[in-house]
Amino acid sequence: MAETANIVVLAETDNVGIAVRDLQMNETARSVDGRSTVAREAIPLGHKVALRTIAAGDRIIRFAVPVAIATADIRAGDLVHVHNVKSQYLDNVEDHYE
Amino acid sequence: MSEAWSSPAKPVAALGLDLSAMRGFLRADGSKGVRNYVVVVYLVECAHHVARKVAAPFEDRGVQLIGFPGCYPSAYAHRVLEALCTHPNVGAVLLVSLGCEEFRRGALREAIAASGRAVELLVIQEEGGTTATVEVGRAWVETRLREAEAQPTVPLTLSDLVVGTKCGGSDGLSGVTANPAVGSAFDRLVDAGATLMFEETCELIGCEDHMAGRAVTTELGVEIVAAVRKADAYYRELGHGSFGGGNIKYGLSTIEEKSLGAYAKSGTRPIAGLLKPGVRPPHAGLYLMDTVNDGGVRYGIPNINDTQTVTEMVASGAHMIVFTTGAGSVVGQAIAPVIKCVSNSRVFQRLADDMDVNAGTIADGAQTVDQVGDRILARIVEVAAGLPTRSEALGHQEFVLNYKTYEPLGPSCLPV
Repeated sequence: MAETANIVVLAETDNVGIAVRDLQMNETARSVDGRSTVAREAIPLGHKVALRTIAAGDRIIRFAVPVAIATADIRAGDLVHVHNVKSQYLDNVEDHYE
Repeated sequence: MSEAWSSPAKPVAALGLDLSAMRGFLRADGSKGVRNYVVVVYLVECAHHVARKVAAPFEDRGVQLIGFPGCYPSAYAHRVLEALCTHPNVGAVLLVSLGCEEFRRGALREAIAASGRAVELLVIQEEGGTTATVEVGRAWVETRLREAEAQPTVPLTLSDLVVGTKCGGSDGLSGVTANPAVGSAFDRLVDAGATLMFEETCELIGCEDHMAGRAVTTELGVEIVAAVRKADAYYRELGHGSFGGGNIKYGLSTIEEKSLGAYAKSGTRPIAGLLKPGVRPPHAGLYLMDTVNDGGVRYGIPNINDTQTVTEMVASGAHMIVFTTGAGSVVGQAIAPVIKCVSNSRVFQRLADDMDVNAGTIADGAQTVDQVGDRILARIVEVAAGLPTRSEALGHQEFVLNYKTYEPLGPSCLPV
């Protein structure tokens, strides 16, 4: 079932997909509507994978809405999470690192 | 792709559900409850133990325990307790007071009596202490329970129902599966003439402009934006917000990403008004509730928690709550049954006993968002027909009420 979708892309303008199962490094992430990229690292279920290059300072778009700002250059296939993005509102992530 | 992925959501009436099985308990004000609870209420923390002792033997018969721990009076807590004691799901109320607290117990008793409900007030210091109060209280509850169990029911329609939604322990799939499925169900309940509410402006930071666009009037939209800005300012002052380590662990990166997922629960229909806790929606439709304290961060006002905000929706008349979770929250609620909908099959399998609906089938590719919405609607109808939710079956009746302050609603919040 190599063709089965393993990410969801919620809107056409989105630059990230959401893993609907755990993805391994080098695995092809693929949505039902044909968006795809090769995961450069493991993408756990529920986490975001970049679908294209996102420069530091650019916005992360999910469901056609900006949900974060990149704090580093992100390549297609990279995990997009608190290590490379920040909130446009409250940036309180440091409180939560264990 | 199968046809189901592109076909529109079916109206509730087309789902083949047994709507005639829905039964209500008619109250003097014309409202109808989906449950007929006897409630025991402590009016100060010092009366909590005695109230719990009174209620304990009746746990399996659905007696509910609620109360307010504070001794110093709170207009907010009084309003919420009065609203809960006169809630459509409540048939009779036993108030348990220590005696020296400042709660206006006489006023509360009169308001409950004026609503046509049986009410009794026991003051521990006057009854003769713990043993005497527990004995008298249990006898009173036993009598009311027998009456409640014998009360005839009346037919209930979807337009009688008030349903709230809340999420707790969200993960990266909550906003992709469970929350949009609730939104799908909510859209169809709005279309069927029901009253719906969603809440937690602190978890809608980033969605304010979109919500304003859905408001039925421009002025209401301005109020909604102001309510979310208040939430944002509140958390900036507090130094932390409604975004926790559990959210990060499951893939959410920012408060606004979490918000977007939470917002999906509200569906797509117009927003009819902005509520505050204890204010009943004036007519059917979809309402947003402002759950953030007015007047900024203050000493003695605790941070927002899931259970208190659900308490607040119940105080505004919600008959039941659809609660979505990703990590697997197991909570229920006093007075309003809680239907739990989990975002992923992994947690559904691990916590199967606690979950009513598995929305993980969307991520598994087995069902569409609308098909899971259909199952949520079916569960709502079953609960309105008297079947217990998973949390009810397990005896959950979480309840929290603490100090808060609210200014009155602005004039544009509830357009006619």
